[in-house]
Amino acid sequence: MSTTGDIREDTERSIFGWIKSRFPTVPYADLTRVVLETDQRQLPRSHAEKYELKTIWYWYPLYCLGGIAFVAFVILTITGILLGFFYVPDGRLELNPTTSDLTNPAWNSMLVIMNEIPFGFIVRGMHHWAAHIMIAAVFLHMCRVYFTGAYKKPRELNWLLGVILMLITIMFGYSGYLLPANNLSEGAANIGINMTRASPVIGDQLARLLFGDINTLTGVYILRWYWIHVFILPLLGTALMILHMGLVWLQGVAEPH
Amino acid sequence: MEIEHVKGKIMEGMPGFPRQYGPVRSDHQPGIPFFPQETARDFVLIFLLVAIMFFLSAVVTPFLGPARSPQISELIVPDWYLLFSWGLLKVADIFPQFTIGAGTPLKTEFSAAFWGDLLSGIPVIFLLVLPFIDRGREARPAKAPVRSAFGVAFLLAWSFTASLYSIREVVAQRWQTPNGSPLIDDIAMKWFFVIPPVLVGLTSYIGLRRLGFAPMRRWLVPYVVGLTAIVEIQAAAILLIPGWLGPQVRPYVVELGVFFLVLLAPMLVSSVAVFAMTESKARKWIVRSGVASLLVFAALTAGLWFSSTANRVGFVWVLSVLEPSMNTLLLFPIFAVVTAYLGVRRPYSTYEYLLNECYQCGKCHTVCPVTKVEDDALGGLNLVYNTFKKQHDGVPLWTCLACDACSAVCPLDIQYSDYILEERSKVHARMAADGGSRE
Repeated sequence: MSTTGDIREDTERSIFGWIKSRFPTVPYADLTRVVLETDQRQLPRSHAEKYELKTIWYWYPLYCLGGIAFVAFVILTITGILLGFFYVPDGRLELNPTTSDLTNPAWNSMLVIMNEIPFGFIVRGMHHWAAHIMIAAVFLHMCRVYFTGAYKKPRELNWLLGVILMLITIMFGYSGYLLPANNLSEGAANIGINMTRASPVIGDQLARLLFGDINTLTGVYILRWYWIHVFILPLLGTALMILHMGLVWLQGVAEPH
Repeated sequence: MEIEHVKGKIMEGMPGFPRQYGPVRSDHQPGIPFFPQETARDFVLIFLLVAIMFFLSAVVTPFLGPARSPQISELIVPDWYLLFSWGLLKVADIFPQFTIGAGTPLKTEFSAAFWGDLLSGIPVIFLLVLPFIDRGREARPAKAPVRSAFGVAFLLAWSFTASLYSIREVVAQRWQTPNGSPLIDDIAMKWFFVIPPVLVGLTSYIGLRRLGFAPMRRWLVPYVVGLTAIVEIQAAAILLIPGWLGPQVRPYVVELGVFFLVLLAPMLVSSVAVFAMTESKARKWIVRSGVASLLVFAALTAGLWFSSTANRVGFVWVLSVLEPSMNTLLLFPIFAVVTAYLGVRRPYSTYEYLLNECYQCGKCHTVCPVTKVEDDALGGLNLVYNTFKKQHDGVPLWTCLACDACSAVCPLDIQYSDYILEERSKVHARMAADGGSRE
């Protein structure tokens, strides 16, 4: 077996060569170039900046609402991951042996988060308020897009994506206040089940699919909506958000004018 | 900088790498650098947002009620963003309930809950089809008054009143007459779904058209006078038809009359103003009467409420007449006066509003006959843009022929000669005010 002494020639015969043939280094130089270009990227000047238009400044603050919703979503993800370590998605009713009150593991784990976990109450507070801020920002963002006519050609598809994202956000909120398994959760789940069951033909089946049962007695709706809240909605939401922002990147911001 | 070093030492001149990056590249539109300017601005916003969240979660701890149990005793109210749906679900029992296709697999029961589902779906369907209905090109709210007014009425006012209806029990418990019946009854709350959004929509439409410089009397006169007439007739009916007022309210008929007068006076003034006065005069009288009536109303309320217990009881009885008809007796005066003002008010910043859409295509300059003979105009960019920048193109105020060739070719329909004529009329007005002498 002859070697040339050059690592490029001996690719298959050395450990370094084994790695290099699988993870070639040359494309990473291209990646560096991409990083450099991104770092030095300049945002294109807007219509108003280019022509020094001073009169429409009042629109500009409204153009950060989508960004605020996204930042709130990132914070929700972080705090949600932290809460997920301590929350128990089990809504089955049980009797407290000492006080003989009705309780359930989910609600008990909320008590632990609020009272015993260090900074638990503030993480839950952040999750709660970020959710409110996100929904408010999404709604106001939609109003901004509506009133500035930013949904028009060529952005119709992005508007539809945005409507779906708003519904996902509302579903996030709804599932979020089902999870503590308190009084509000019970009432909201009952309303949700009744509204779902009222839809014709597939009502009961749909209720069984979404809530696990056609009433709240078993408490299985907590587990069902926990999974929707932490897996299905984040997956859908993140994918559509990336698409939503990607389309803005491609089509440009609908400038105020 | 480090990047410069890397770029210079390693990348530059390598095969496949262009010589120049970033700002010096000629195919880049010069703008705000992403780093550090843009990122710095973003991080200020992000930190502010996080600070607000920390503050809120430290000060307002989210409520965790008792553990769930099958018996719900207290009133359940969902979070604010679902109140509209909850309100629609509660109002759904006004719709007829029937079943179609009974005995078949496609049996559909139009129950109150299903009507609630359908009603909650209306906003979603509207949002989904919106870009395919509204295919106009105008982006500014004031230039698309129908779309904007509909948005204010439907997205804002209707969502709000629908949400309000979801807490009808709270309203009924919170505000009551001395004998314990609710001040704002269910029928008044139901009319909230219709009357306030329609009023908000019409008022926004009139206000926005005015913002776009349309003369709005044709709309104002029927609107304001019509609302006034309805309130007059209703007030007269309440006071004059025997048996309308209950025995508890009878003793307070004078106070009731005074309140009607306070509500009707600015409406009457506004009606006369939009019907007969010149705009500047109408503007003044509408504002004066509106503010005066508001102050008198507040003073009367405070006076009756705080003076004595008997007066307070009387005031509540007066309210028991006003509140069930609040959609007409209280909202109509407010909307009549506000709309009258918005419809005759002086549109602001005419000049900037008209011209700031210009993006310097220069078509107006190409067609303008004056620029062909004026020496000043030879190096000019274009009419509208330079006028907006307060630099003239050789077409200063008095050499423009107002031939409108520029408006005919303008891709944004900017009415340049309208602006010129308006500016000329302003100068004339100033000269007249100065006694005819030039400034």
